Amino acid sequence: MKTRLPEHGPLETPRFWRTLDERLETPEAQRAAQDEFLPGAVPTIYDDVHGLPPQDGFSRRDFFGLVGAAAAVAATVACDRKGQGKVVPYTRRPVEVVPGVANYYASAYQEGRRVYPVLVKTREGRPILVSGNDEHPGVKGKTSPRAMADVLRLYDPDRLRAPKSGGRIIGWPEAEAQLHGALKGAREAGKPVLLITGAQASPSQKALLSGLKAVLPTLEHLAYEPASGDAAEEAARACFGQAVEVQPRLTKAKVILSLGADFLNGEDPEALAAWGAKRRLKDAQETINRLWVIEGPLTLTGTNADVRVPVAPSRLGPVAFALAKGLAGLGVPLPAGTDLSAIPAGMPPELKEATKDAGKVWSSLLKDLHHAGRNAVVLCGPQMPAEVHQAAHLLNAMLASEAVAVLAAEPLATVKELEAAAKGMAEGRYAAVVFWGVNPAYTYPRAAAWKEAVAKVAFRAWIGQVEDETSAQCQLLLPENHWLESWGDFTTASAAVLQQPTIGTLYDTRQGEDLFLGAIKALGGQAPASYHAFIQGRWQTSLPSGTSFEQALHDGLVKGEAKGVAPAFRGASVSAAAKAAMQSKAQGLELVLFPGFATFDGRHANNSWLQETPDPITKMTWDNPLSLSVQDATALGIQEGDFVSLTLEGTTLRLPAILQPGQTKGVLALALGYGRSTGGVARNVGTNAFPLMGLDPARANHRMAASLAKAGGKKELSRTQSHHRMEGRDLVRSLTMEEFAHDPQGHHHAPELVTLYEEQTFPDHKWGMVIDLAACVGCSACVVACQSENNVPVVGPEQVARGREMHWIRIDRYYEGDLENPKVVHQPMLCQHCDNAPCENVCPVNATNHSNEGLNQMAYNRCVGTRYCANNCPYKVRRFNFLEYTSYKTEPETLAYNPEVTVRPRGVMEKCSFCVQRINDVKIRAKGDGRAILDGEVTTACMAGCPADAIVFGDLKDPKSKVSQLRSASRAYRVLEELGVKPAITYLADLKNPAVEGGTHAV
Amino acid sequence: MADTNRTQMANRATALLAGPFLLGRRALSALFPPEDEAPPEQPRKDLGRGITVTPPEHAIKRRG
Repeated sequence: MKTRLPEHGPLETPRFWRTLDERLETPEAQRAAQDEFLPGAVPTIYDDVHGLPPQDGFSRRDFFGLVGAAAAVAATVACDRKGQGKVVPYTRRPVEVVPGVANYYASAYQEGRRVYPVLVKTREGRPILVSGNDEHPGVKGKTSPRAMADVLRLYDPDRLRAPKSGGRIIGWPEAEAQLHGALKGAREAGKPVLLITGAQASPSQKALLSGLKAVLPTLEHLAYEPASGDAAEEAARACFGQAVEVQPRLTKAKVILSLGADFLNGEDPEALAAWGAKRRLKDAQETINRLWVIEGPLTLTGTNADVRVPVAPSRLGPVAFALAKGLAGLGVPLPAGTDLSAIPAGMPPELKEATKDAGKVWSSLLKDLHHAGRNAVVLCGPQMPAEVHQAAHLLNAMLASEAVAVLAAEPLATVKELEAAAKGMAEGRYAAVVFWGVNPAYTYPRAAAWKEAVAKVAFRAWIGQVEDETSAQCQLLLPENHWLESWGDFTTASAAVLQQPTIGTLYDTRQGEDLFLGAIKALGGQAPASYHAFIQGRWQTSLPSGTSFEQALHDGLVKGEAKGVAPAFRGASVSAAAKAAMQSKAQGLELVLFPGFATFDGRHANNSWLQETPDPITKMTWDNPLSLSVQDATALGIQEGDFVSLTLEGTTLRLPAILQPGQTKGVLALALGYGRSTGGVARNVGTNAFPLMGLDPARANHRMAASLAKAGGKKELSRTQSHHRMEGRDLVRSLTMEEFAHDPQGHHHAPELVTLYEEQTFPDHKWGMVIDLAACVGCSACVVACQSENNVPVVGPEQVARGREMHWIRIDRYYEGDLENPKVVHQPMLCQHCDNAPCENVCPVNATNHSNEGLNQMAYNRCVGTRYCANNCPYKVRRFNFLEYTSYKTEPETLAYNPEVTVRPRGVMEKCSFCVQRINDVKIRAKGDGRAILDGEVTTACMAGCPADAIVFGDLKDPKSKVSQLRSASRAYRVLEELGVKPAITYLADLKNPAVEGGTHAV
Repeated sequence: MADTNRTQMANRATALLAGPFLLGRRALSALFPPEDEAPPEQPRKDLGRGITVTPPEHAIKRRG
């Protein structure tokens, strides 16, 4: 076979790099590139060449002695009777359950203010997979990684299974009697009852709490979301006089400016779908949008920017208001009453420090926003200071942006209201407090003061699923259903959504709403028998004619735009914000506290799937190290993994540090939701950052004057990106729009491949995949979807640190350019199902082989674990079960398994199967219908989970299939094509649409 | 080599004694099977008993 090395050969400095070691070409990086596995991945007791125990110290005589004894024992054991279990027929089968056939239910999941309409797959009555509801006009079958992973929380062994009072298990009648007694007592005494819940996105729940308030007038309700960003709430109150929800409408956006907004982080499937649609270009004549990002920490959105300018959050306000002034100078009218006299005209000095071509960047940004007009949108990150939000509202109002919807929302309590509640509790104002689905004893910044205050309330009740820091303080614990066991309804912008149970309750739990219905009745009010009846009654009065409640449950929704008047922007509100922005000065180091990708505000911390999904930027698992810029680390002498002391207003945390390319100098970033003290998975994973949150809601997540010092010691980081080096080969390709327009084949340097082997033939199908790197944002939804579908095991932080993570698909994150502000490309990497697969040739037992449909398949029970295939795989996508990860698991954890996929034991190699079970399912159904398989009918889990539609799967034998057509696109290339392995996966090169260089494409 | 063998005496003795012992025990149990002995692969009593999976009430499935 003749091959030619690519232009960026291994001996050159790599254009793309993934870790600092790789960028700097350290001796450790060069050594690691030579080793197949990370140090420690292969146990030292094994001979690394043959995979056998060492031979010294074991005599021939002993060997034969053991062989003789083993043979005798084996012969005896083989004669034993085995498998004497009883086979019991499904004599009382529920009508809905057909063994072997999956049922799908439409339902919905809520996280903060965000609602995810979902479709839940159940097998034999067990929910096993969550995907988006394909009927919903907004999400169109997509959802978030955390929504998908939340099925695991249903089977969390730590769930509270029965009510508890004073630490002992009690029955529901006694529990309800205690709750009702306390509420009645409070009403009679005329003392307030404090109820703290999460965000209210359900109209029925709102009506229910109004009903409770009617019979319990002393009820005080706070809706508290610690990760929602108090600053956004403060800014909304100032600009609109009420709480609002800002929803991007990116289908209409030609120019997007992000001020620290991470709207591509996977939380918003609608935004991701719109983004993907504008990026999957066939040719350069199609319209592409342009994303400008001005931010401090590097976010996932920042990694997808066409132009990214690193600016500290404290300086974002002046930059944003200067933009407004600049636009006004170009003739864009300011809203009535707007006073920007505090803002100097012209380019803000912050840009000069941030970028070399500051003048060009500034004028291009102004021009872009001005030209795009209504098709421009400015989005602000919830963690940014309030004045930046106000500037973003002002800019959107000036542009009359159609690419954003500002909707009235139910107000959220900020940390200020929580502080007032704590004061009230400490003063003995409340007769009772009820916590429902919230954990302020963990999330409130001054947890000790909070606990002290709560302890002074006579009656404390908690409604939740897993006992936590807050429940530890309560006398009465009321176990709540998981959302997959519950009823509910929500309002979304394009449809009213229903939540229905997909399984009967696993334990003796109840829905929170049912408890409050019971309370209403006990307090003398009228209420239906159950929350199901409550919802049904409300919906039947409001359903459009011709639609039944059953039909709505079947679809999971009733389509229709949400009613309501858009709140009006108050121009006069921004002058104070503009002054505050100009007065904001950077003091010491700035710290940004953001919700963890895996944990959010800590509610997902007990979910091992999420804990082990690598953070999209840092690629960290099972931890929340402090991210700091390379410049700051160099100045302070800090290296990756060093323990540092982070001090802020008397609070000091000791935590490991990582150096984050692209992070703005002087800015630190730390994820919330770690460092829990309860939960079998969550306990002691990472560090609790909530104590560093501020009590000023205008900048609760953005703190100034932090100090940092080395604390001594180093932590081994459970990070995945340093695994599987690829030595500078051009695995990932990125084009500017100019390159795409004028030389679309320029990235091609396809080698001339000559082979002695015969061309393989595929009689019926040849399955293949195309992944568009321009649409992929790196959100990791595919990773979670694959984990859920294919029973991918969780191995824990120690094993991840040894390079033994088991994900079948990983997202490789590549940097390009300088350390201060690199460009970033994300590349999903999975088994390439090569036609000339190098892994197949070296398997001594033919455990991995090729199907006649082009699948590189594994026979698990034939695998003897030599790991030769992993050694020979050029893509490093094979995963070995070094330990027993699954067989020790018991119910309820095993209930989450997909029965269509074998669970793999220790000593067996595994990898992506192209979801062969889904292919076979479609084949069987098509055969039953007597028809051919339709294009797009087979979807792999990663494809179905990808909100940006970056992954396309299909039959390459069908020349009309989408995958066949994309395979011949000008951006198409195959990774390591020069090896001649003929991968079945084609990548489409990434596209960037920069404004200054290479961005001639008109917006 | 001789030194190595002497130090391995305990290992050798264990290997050579364990074989006949296990063989004998198997042979005896094959000859005199205890009638009430539980099958070797019976699941633990605490498994599969505590959790009953039931279908949801009033829910309407999309397909299946």
